[in-house]
This record gives sequence, C-alpha cells and structure tokens, in this order.
Amino acid sequence: MAKTRHYDGNPQKNSPALGATLAYLGVNGLLALLHGSQGCSSFIRLQLSRHYKEPIPLNSTALLEDTVIFGGWEHLKKGIAMAADKYKPQIIGVMSTGLTETFGDDMASALSSLRSERPDLVVLPVVLASTPDYIGSMQEGYQLAVEALLTTLAEHPSNPVETSLSVPEQAPSIALLPGCHLTPGDVEELKEIVMEFGFKPITIPDLSISLDGHAELEAAPVVQGGTLLEDFQRLPKCSACLSFGLSMEKAGDFLKQMYEIPHLNFPSVTGLTASDEFVLALAKISGRPVPEKLLRQRSRLLDTLADYHDQLGGQKIAIALEMDLLYSLGSCLVEVGSELTVALAASQAGIHRLSLPIPIEVGDLETLEERAGQSNLIIANSNGRQAAGLLKIPHLRAGLPVFDRVGYPQKRWIGYEGTQQFLFDMLNSLG
Amino acid sequence: MFTNLTKLDLKDKKCMSDAGSPKLCMKALPGEGAERSCAYDGARVVLMPITDVAHLVHGPIACAGNSWDNRGARSSGSQLYRRGLTTDIMENDVIYGGETKLREAILEIAVRHNPKAIFVYATCVSSLIGDDVDKICKEAEAKLTIPVIAVNCPGFLGDKNIGNRIAGEVLFERVIGTGEGSDEKIPLSINLIGEYNIAGDLWGVIPDLKNLGITLQTAITGDAKFDDLRSAHRASLNVLICSKSLTNLVRKMEIRYGIPFMEGSFYGIHDTSETLINIAKALGDPDLLERTLVYVQKKEDETRKIIAGYKKLLENKQAILFTGGVKTWSMVSTLAELGINILAGGTQNSTPEDFQRMKELMDPSAQIIEDTSSAGFLKIIAEKKPDLIVAGGKTKYLAHKTRTPFLDINHGRKLPYAGYQGMVTFAESLTRTVLSPVWGLLKQEFPPKEGELDG
Repeated sequence: MAKTRHYDGNPQKNSPALGATLAYLGVNGLLALLHGSQGCSSFIRLQLSRHYKEPIPLNSTALLEDTVIFGGWEHLKKGIAMAADKYKPQIIGVMSTGLTETFGDDMASALSSLRSERPDLVVLPVVLASTPDYIGSMQEGYQLAVEALLTTLAEHPSNPVETSLSVPEQAPSIALLPGCHLTPGDVEELKEIVMEFGFKPITIPDLSISLDGHAELEAAPVVQGGTLLEDFQRLPKCSACLSFGLSMEKAGDFLKQMYEIPHLNFPSVTGLTASDEFVLALAKISGRPVPEKLLRQRSRLLDTLADYHDQLGGQKIAIALEMDLLYSLGSCLVEVGSELTVALAASQAGIHRLSLPIPIEVGDLETLEERAGQSNLIIANSNGRQAAGLLKIPHLRAGLPVFDRVGYPQKRWIGYEGTQQFLFDMLNSLG
Repeated sequence: MFTNLTKLDLKDKKCMSDAGSPKLCMKALPGEGAERSCAYDGARVVLMPITDVAHLVHGPIACAGNSWDNRGARSSGSQLYRRGLTTDIMENDVIYGGETKLREAILEIAVRHNPKAIFVYATCVSSLIGDDVDKICKEAEAKLTIPVIAVNCPGFLGDKNIGNRIAGEVLFERVIGTGEGSDEKIPLSINLIGEYNIAGDLWGVIPDLKNLGITLQTAITGDAKFDDLRSAHRASLNVLICSKSLTNLVRKMEIRYGIPFMEGSFYGIHDTSETLINIAKALGDPDLLERTLVYVQKKEDETRKIIAGYKKLLENKQAILFTGGVKTWSMVSTLAELGINILAGGTQNSTPEDFQRMKELMDPSAQIIEDTSSAGFLKIIAEKKPDLIVAGGKTKYLAHKTRTPFLDINHGRKLPYAGYQGMVTFAESLTRTVLSPVWGLLKQEFPPKEGELDG
C-alpha cells in the first residue's frame, strides 16, 4: 500500500456517482437523477462538462436537513415523478450518494411505492444504481451503473412499438461493453473494428454518439444520442458479447448467463499484443480473415515501433490513473521497452488481478509527486499538473478530468492505429 | 455542533415578499433540475481562495475529489490553497467513525505542508456519522502552533448562500482580529469583501486604488494571506462586492470593530467609478474625494474611448443575461454601456434587493426568467432568439448547442473583467464571441437544398 498517510493529497479519484453519471450519459433519452444533496450533482456536472465541453443532463433530489432526520425516501419518489413529468425522458437513471447510503434509503421500495401511486409511470424504465461515495472511484460507479442498466432493462417489459425484432437482421449483432477508460473516440474505433468483421455492434453505453461533441439539431435537457432503448431488446440476438476493461467483466458475464452467448473480456486493447488478441478473437468469432485495412494498420504500427524503438526504450514513466486505463497504457509502454517507475491506481478494483512489472498501488497525486522525481514523463489526468509543474517533468494528459488540453474525448488510443497515435502523443509530449 | 442557523443573518427569510420578485430563495424541488449547489460549496467558495493555508475536506471523495482546484481564484504567492486535501472517508470510517483519521490527517498536513492555518470542512457524511469536527480541531490546535479551524458546512444545510454565510461566521469568529499585531486603524484602508480574484479580477482594481492612495488591507478572500485577514479589523471601511452573501460578516464587523460598510461593484465603467467615489466619500477625506472625482473622469474618458470601437460593433444586439450574485444588476449596466439590449434576465443566488435593482435597470419589457433549470433556459432561448447569452459556465455548452454566442462571466473564465481595464477586456471578449465567424458556419444548411448547389 502506498497510502501510509491519513489523507488524500491532490486526489486522482472521482466519485463513483460521477462514474455512474458517465455510464448513464451513453443511453439515449435518459435523464440522470442523483439521490443526494445539491452540491453532489453540481460538482459532477462541472467536472464532466469541463472534460467533455458538453452539457451534462443531471438532476438531483436536492436533499436538505429534514431528510437527514426523516430519510430521503419520499424525496426520491418526488424526484423521479418530477423528472418524468417535467422532462419526459425515455428512461431515468438514478444513482445514490454517501449521504443517502449512510442513512440507508431503500431505493427499490421507493420506486415500487411510487409506481403503485402512479400507474402511468410503470412503463417508464427507472434504473437504480447504488453508488456510495465512500466505496471506490469513477470506475466502480460506472461499472455499477452499466450492470444496473443491463439487469433493469433485461427485465423491463419491452415496448410494443418494437417492430425490427421480427425482421431478420442483415448482419449478426455483437454486444460491446466499453469501460470508462475508453473515450468516445475509442468507442467509435471499437465499433469500426468490429464492423470490419461484418458485425453490427450494439454498444452499451455508447458515448461515441452522445458525448462525442456534436452539434445537435435541437438542444435538449436529456441525453442526446447513445444506446437506443430498443438496442437493449436486441441483446438476446447477439452472437457474442465483448467487454473492455476488467471492470466490465461482470456485466459481460451477466449477458453471457442471461442470453447464453459467449463472452470475452479484454482488459486492454492498447498495444500490439492486446490489439492482436482482440483482432484474432473477432476473426475467430466471425469466421472471417483479418481485413486488409487492419493488417495495413498493423504493419504501420510495426514500422513505428522499429523507427522509434530507441526513444521508446529510454523512457522512465510514472503513471497515476484509474485501474483499467493504468493497465492499458502501462502494459503498452512496457511492451515497447519503456520503464515504468510508478504505477498508482485510483482505487483497489482489479489491483490484484492485473499486473505490471512494478507493483501497482493505490495512491493520490501527492504520492506521484513524491515518487516521480526521477522519471522522464508523468501520465495522469489534468490534476497531475501540480506534480508535473513542481518536478518540471513533461505531463501527458490521460483519464478524467482533462480540461487543459483540447480534444482528449476525441482521442483514439486503442487498436493498431490508436496504439500508434498513443505512442506518437507520448513521444511528442516529451518535448 | 453546527453553526446555529438562527444566529446567521438569513435575510432571505423575507424573500417570499410580494415585492414582485420571483421566489429567489425557494428550496429546489427534487428532480426539477434547478439545483443551487450546497452549503459546503458555498463555504469553499468563500474560504478556499485564502492562499497560504491548508483546506482539508473531511468527507468522502465526492466532496473534494470532484471539485478541487476547479475555480479560477488566483494567487500572487503561495499555491497551497490549490492543493486538494481530503480525509477521503471510506466504508470503514462510516462504520467506525472518522475522528481518528481526521486527527492524524491534520497533524500530517501541518508537517508536510507547513500551512499558516488549517481549515477543516465538515460534510454530509462526516456529520451523519457523528464525527465531532470542532473537538478534533481544538485538540489538534493544542498540539500545533497554528490555528485549526472547523467549518461546519454539511451540504444538506442548504444551498450555496447558506454556505457563504457560514464561512463569513467562521472568518468573524476565528480569523479576523486574532492576530498578535496592532489593532490600530490604518487610515484610508479598505477591505474588499466578496472579491475572490477570479481570473485576477482583483489585480485589475488594485492599480486604481493605489493611484488614489487607498490601501487595500485585504480582499475577503481573493489572493488573501492568512495574516492579512487576521488584521482585517484594522481597515477603515468594508466594501461589499459580491452582493449580500457576506452581509452578516460586515454587519458584525461594524458592531465589534466600528468599521462602516458600503456596497459596490467593479463591473463596468459606471459602477467602478461610482464605487470608487463612494469609497472616497465613506473614508471621509476631502482631498481623496477630490482626487477621485478627477481620476474617475479621466479613466472613464480613456476607457470609453478605447471601447467606442467595440460599442459600434455590439450596439443594439439583443442579449439574455443569466447570472448570480452582484452581477445581476452590475452586468445590466455593463451591457448597457456597450449598447446591448436585454431581452430577458434571470438570476440565481441573488437576493431580492439585487433583483429589484436589476429590474429597475432593465427595460420594462424585458422578461424575468423564473425557471432556472436547463429546460427553462432552452425555452427562453427558443422564444427570444437572442444575439448573445451572458451567463455562468454551467449553461455554456447547452447554449452552444443552440448555436448562440455565449460569454462565461463566472468562475470558469480565464480573463479578468473587473475595473476599467476589465471593462476593456470584457468588451474585447464579447466582441470576439458575438462576431466570431463560426456562428455563421454553424447555421449554414448542409447539404444545401436542391437548386442552391449551382448558385
């Protein structure tokens, strides 16, 4: 354990409720509702909007002192009803907070009580994710919300308007579950790669068409773009499920059991070996050869590795990121001969199952500052700027939030082409 | 253990008056989407700009992790205030209590960061599990040589305004007048209260004060050093900048230290001059007043000359104004200075007085925005189709989706807008935004309709 202190100095963690918000933002027509006090949602909106440069539709149940005494159960009912009536979302995604989990609000009973009072709301899907602030980080909250989305919508009575189910699909569907370490750009790259193999991807959540920063025809205060509700109903037809990031493994296993489809988890899709594993798996599932386009991208990556092997090999790199991203970028750097000096994860999740040549520890950015002195490069979110500035070490922004460099949400650092881009960005940041 | 709210100056209680203003301080309803942040946020807005102290948040990661170093308050010296420090309450702390962790954290931070003082912020969770932050701070203070100050501001106490007032209370009780130096009044000196040096606003005002021979004892709390704050009671006058959020503080300082207070604003030419003149009057020095009258006239002429070109470009543009605090009314006159008409105005976190003042300055036909949620915001844009929107950052990206020019005047901005120099910067920024060629590109239909392809 890196943490011998009793405080976090310059935390790299974000709250689990922020992660849950992020997952919900990948579902079309959804309105996220945070069950907590008003500051919780204000901070999340601000943090996400300075990263994505996008409006963040997130309401709250606005708890006040009386709820601390009487509980927030009634507020949750009122909040769901108000959000449904005023904003007319297609789906509501609720996440809890440290406040409501400490006094133990039972969200499920609040929802069923509301539905018995308001039968018109029975058809409105409401997803409940339990995300106490004091357990885990963004990655855990995102994971819990994805799992809640899948379990809730798998059981939710399907909408009778669905017609496309009766029509045979042209292309076989494949379910993709991207973790929160992937940017909207990465998710788009994932979809493009599986389409190269003739699959029609169903992506949950799909940030590549909601938080990709597009000019909408008409602005709305709910999520625009993202996974369609009908897509959840198409899941049983999928020929396989692929999940990305160890944190998405459980969600993929749920689909595997629920619909009896094969599930493969890819802890990383950054780096040559990781990309090879992904591409070969797709070739196997599809029964098709590896497409020419990907082979070409692969050969370009090989050439880049040869051309820059010397620079790549000489680097000492300190990384502090959420676990899935830490592993993805860290293992890619190790593969090309860079040396990792520090590897700090935001939380415990996955820390004992994934390994790098140096021990992965849970740590904050003050620890990074204390240990990165002998490194050539820091890879961390924008908050790592204090450490990088004091140590006078170049800083490659990654993770969340990235607010002082433009274009991060559009970056693609996965697959052959994305790996090449990541290595270019890494080398260029060395100045 | 909480600050007794009945002791606070909660003038808002009157806000349900029939003075024609909307229910400004009405509680946010669950799910309606018009949240006004929380008491903890309000307290940190006021206290966290204090530069040479440590700000330790006793709560789970949601309170500090999502928010540290996210405001634009600038410092000319120590950067310690920008450090995110939190006890990061975990599951075990919720079960067994977080007092031990807090006690250790305070001592460790004192050693590691050598702060002038430590402010410890209580939060929803730490309060619910019954951690006695006051007691822990007192004990820690006894072991250390620096003040350890508890700020009891759990978010559930209310919105940002409540937190502002709690912070004012803390400054009054635990900081101001606690220094070891002299208590003697400094002639021609002022405190600027509610000025947080966002994007360096304060530095745009200091040259004017210096030129006039007025000493700034301290801002509360922009670019403030702890020791200067402790001597804030030596100022001859308190100038309240950000509306009413710290009225309780200036009232109490008047009673205890005999420091009179006045309100002012440094946004816009008119308000800057008026404020400087009023400061000179309140300080009661005839020479100073004379100097000031000459000075502001000169500065006004100079500034108006510089912005004349911008005014030409902006004149008769139609704006929607959506701001908080003092900016409600001072922004109206700032925009008017540039010849901009206001179609609709709304406000959050402003008092009825601020609001009335804004209403008087606006055209009678201008609409008041009552629904401050994102839905209400979109509705008013669709109805009014303004040429520009002037608002806080939280609506910025939503406004961009409507393809409307938008200027952020809150804490997310990068440029200072205060004082005469700030007015020029403001006019430049606004012109750049409104006249940017991108809005035209955004509105082009693509692909063009049939028949337009050849033309």
